[in-house]
Amino acid sequence: MNRVESIASRNFMTTRTVRVLAEAAGLLGAPQRVIPLFSKLASDELRTTFERRHLYSYSSTTIPSAEALRSVVGWMLDAQRPDGGIAAYYSLLTGYSESYPEVTGYIIPTLYDFERLTGDPAARHGAYLATDWVLSLQMLSGAFPGGLRGRESDAQPSVFNTGQILQGLIRAHAETKNAEILKRAVAAGDWLAAIQQADGSWTGLAVYQGTAHTYYSMVSWALAQLAAESKDPSHAAAADRNIDWVLSHVQPSGWIDGINLLGHPAYLHFIAYVIQGMLECGILRRRDDAIQAAARAAWVLLRKFETHKRLLGTYQPDFKGDRRFSCLTGNAQMSCIWLRLFEVTGDLRYLNAALKINEMLKEVLPLKGRHGVRGGVAGSHPIWGRYQPMRFISWGCKFLADALMLEQRLMGGLETSECAS
Amino acid sequence: MRVVILCSSPYSETGCAVAARLAQLGYSPVGALTLPSWDRGALLRKVAQWGLRTSLHYAVAKLAPGKATNRRQVLNPYLEMSLRYGDGLFRSLRDVARAYGFPVVRCGDQNSPRAIAQLQQWSPDLAIFTGGNILRDEVLKIPRLGVLNSHLAPLPEIRGMSSPEWSLLCGVPLGITIHFMDTGLDTGPILLRREFAGADDCDSLTDLRNRMISEGIELLAEAVAGLDRGAISAAPQAEREEDRQFFVMHERLKAVATRRLKNSRLSPAAGRCDG
Repeated sequence: MNRVESIASRNFMTTRTVRVLAEAAGLLGAPQRVIPLFSKLASDELRTTFERRHLYSYSSTTIPSAEALRSVVGWMLDAQRPDGGIAAYYSLLTGYSESYPEVTGYIIPTLYDFERLTGDPAARHGAYLATDWVLSLQMLSGAFPGGLRGRESDAQPSVFNTGQILQGLIRAHAETKNAEILKRAVAAGDWLAAIQQADGSWTGLAVYQGTAHTYYSMVSWALAQLAAESKDPSHAAAADRNIDWVLSHVQPSGWIDGINLLGHPAYLHFIAYVIQGMLECGILRRRDDAIQAAARAAWVLLRKFETHKRLLGTYQPDFKGDRRFSCLTGNAQMSCIWLRLFEVTGDLRYLNAALKINEMLKEVLPLKGRHGVRGGVAGSHPIWGRYQPMRFISWGCKFLADALMLEQRLMGGLETSECAS
Repeated sequence: MRVVILCSSPYSETGCAVAARLAQLGYSPVGALTLPSWDRGALLRKVAQWGLRTSLHYAVAKLAPGKATNRRQVLNPYLEMSLRYGDGLFRSLRDVARAYGFPVVRCGDQNSPRAIAQLQQWSPDLAIFTGGNILRDEVLKIPRLGVLNSHLAPLPEIRGMSSPEWSLLCGVPLGITIHFMDTGLDTGPILLRREFAGADDCDSLTDLRNRMISEGIELLAEAVAGLDRGAISAAPQAEREEDRQFFVMHERLKAVATRRLKNSRLSPAAGRCDG
């Protein structure tokens, strides 16, 4: 580690300590959160003490997926703030956070999907409010700001947030046919293409920690979606350039280098982002090389899950084991990836693994409790694990809802075709 | 031919049936090495596989035979012929051992130094694996010819767990493979491979599996006799580019496999997929 990295790492740790202390102090102002906090701590302690995973772990259904889905979407709608934005998290120490532009943007497709599946008008209404709020944050350049709430005067444009919000805008346009939304989406896409480096990566002030990251493949997925709507070849070319750059980081083991998060381990959440962005972009752009690379990495993780009955919270390069907590968001993302790979390849082993990891996720989902807890996906299991400790996070709920809806759609298709045959 | 049986529990019906069938054919084992009957992992597996009620019935039938006379006495009815002995049934490996005069040794792990020492003492030509741990190279090398396993699917197409179910779902013809074990999972050289033609008579996956286990035992016996006569030899598995390992199947996919089993009985062309 060089001197600059060392200082950055030290600053990060100091910031983290201050944040932990500030969150702990939050409990003093809201003693009513003491009971949910201690009951969650106790239940996770009991579960981790007595849990014995065996060959048949998660091979049978314990909680119906429809019930879990309704509960998770209920959590997201509860987390929608009066401004229309969705909170980043509910902390057992400090309660709901402020609205979070990035997540609000990419929860929009999830809410529309839920409305389509169940006919629930509340989800559609929530998607309208979320769209209005993110549009109110767009900068003149077409970019969207980073950070929570995004209204601070010194808010910087953010490549990743712009990409994630772009996904929501494209879906909102598809649902409402509102030309203004498409115009705003195109402006965001133009900005992303304009500031992209020649090698296909994004670096500089608008990028987290200033360095290029392979998990920005999620941005190229959004650009590929936009290209299909805008028919603008510059959007498609930007998506392809980034995927080429990500593919240049693929290792013989299937591992994809270049997550490049200083001061953070490679959480499963980010590993899954790299794979998911590359897979979805590959599907839209008909890039077999990207689909193959995503499938290879996803297969390594599938084997690990099937063999050990769990995925670890973090991995070191070449998928070497690291910290033993579970990153539940990463698990839900892997479920989405495996389900999509089943859809693309027809290999039922992906569907089988996704069904099992969904069982695991449903088992740790609180189906009872107060607002903020009920239906919430914790950052880590146990909740004191390193990824977003003591919090139920909105992007975890988004990915679990996506996974459960995909499961219902694909299993429905499989079961119907069997009955017809 | 000095044969040893490796078994997951002294009450394993498959283990008992293999030992009894071989003994009936004149290949009485020189010993049997079994895991304990009350291993927590094995117990959980049985409960998960069979459900609590069936597991309890099974335990009562095995441990207190007098109280279970009015209940079904053999979980896999197709093994009843192999397990019949006079007027009764072999209920455990100890019963088979008493009848045919071979020792049964219990161990906590089939790879443990104690298990290895016991196997070396028996100095077998061949070991038959009917369940237990994933065997390490050190154990696999002890029998002169190797360790045989009956796998309930054609190899190398379907390796690993839930193999009959995966065969149904993936449109691979049902079959049984007798192969030597190596350090990979179902990757060792193949001795015999036969298609299973009895699926049309099966009314459930359990029924299918039970019939295949029974037929697998007959095929094992045929393989042992063939090896003894020097009439058959093993061939290495064909290299395949893609990974063909399968894992325990989720119950919702098993339900699809069950429908496929029933559909294929009505129409041989129905219910295949490209997975």
